[in-house]
Amino acid sequence: MTLPLLPFYLPDSGKFVVTSSILFSKKAENVKQNPKVSLLFSNPEGSKAGKHAVLVQGVADADDSDLDHGWEKYLSYWRKKEPYIDAYLTEREKFGWFWKRIVVQVEPKKILAWKNGDTSRPPEVFGA
Amino acid sequence: MKSLDYQRLGNFRYAVITLVGDDGFPFSVATDFKILPDKKIVLQKPALPSKLDGKRVNVLFNHIRGLPGGGYGDRRYMLVWGTTHEDHGTLRFEPETVSEWDEKILPFDQYCAKSAPQGAKYLGKLQASVEA
Repeated sequence: MTLPLLPFYLPDSGKFVVTSSILFSKKAENVKQNPKVSLLFSNPEGSKAGKHAVLVQGVADADDSDLDHGWEKYLSYWRKKEPYIDAYLTEREKFGWFWKRIVVQVEPKKILAWKNGDTSRPPEVFGA
Repeated sequence: MKSLDYQRLGNFRYAVITLVGDDGFPFSVATDFKILPDKKIVLQKPALPSKLDGKRVNVLFNHIRGLPGGGYGDRRYMLVWGTTHEDHGTLRFEPETVSEWDEKILPFDQYCAKSAPQGAKYLGKLQASVEA
């Protein structure tokens, strides 16, 4: 199952993080069944990867031990990408279940990169 | 299956093909596509995966627009499951099922409300695992 997401990169660990509301938790259920995942950065508007396309294949872990607060440590990353998120936070009670969030960390194992997004050519492969 | 709205599908600029590779990892690749007058969906064949004939895949069509002050708008996607067939250097895509969201059709707060059953299901499973 492929879905648009808002991932954050954690330079200290080299991992990516996605937080998911329980409202849209099918992906977290899938991770619990099979931790092998991929993150594709291909849309210049969303990925900020310029014209290039990058696929990160890795192993994911879904942490739902603290749905109410476990994700809050990533708010600063989120705020940089979506500054208006604070408006939703001030209405936290109204969007109660939206703010019950699972933290999914992805440890990269292999990265494939298509220069200029040209997928008619084979990608460069790192970490194979 | 929920019917595929070809007119709205035609408003997307590119497609992402995903299938599970031999190593067990999902492999996703972006490519161009076009819709023929007879509503056949034709994907440009990427270099990889090399064999896509008869493969069950999902194809994501998505759109997002960066906002001047940061953040995103005009979010929409169609996720279509189907089968690809190699055809003269291109891929003919036969759609089977579709799920989608377009915030202009279903505003985000309504999308959240509509998704409550999935939230309840997740909490129910979590509760059961805690009690086990």
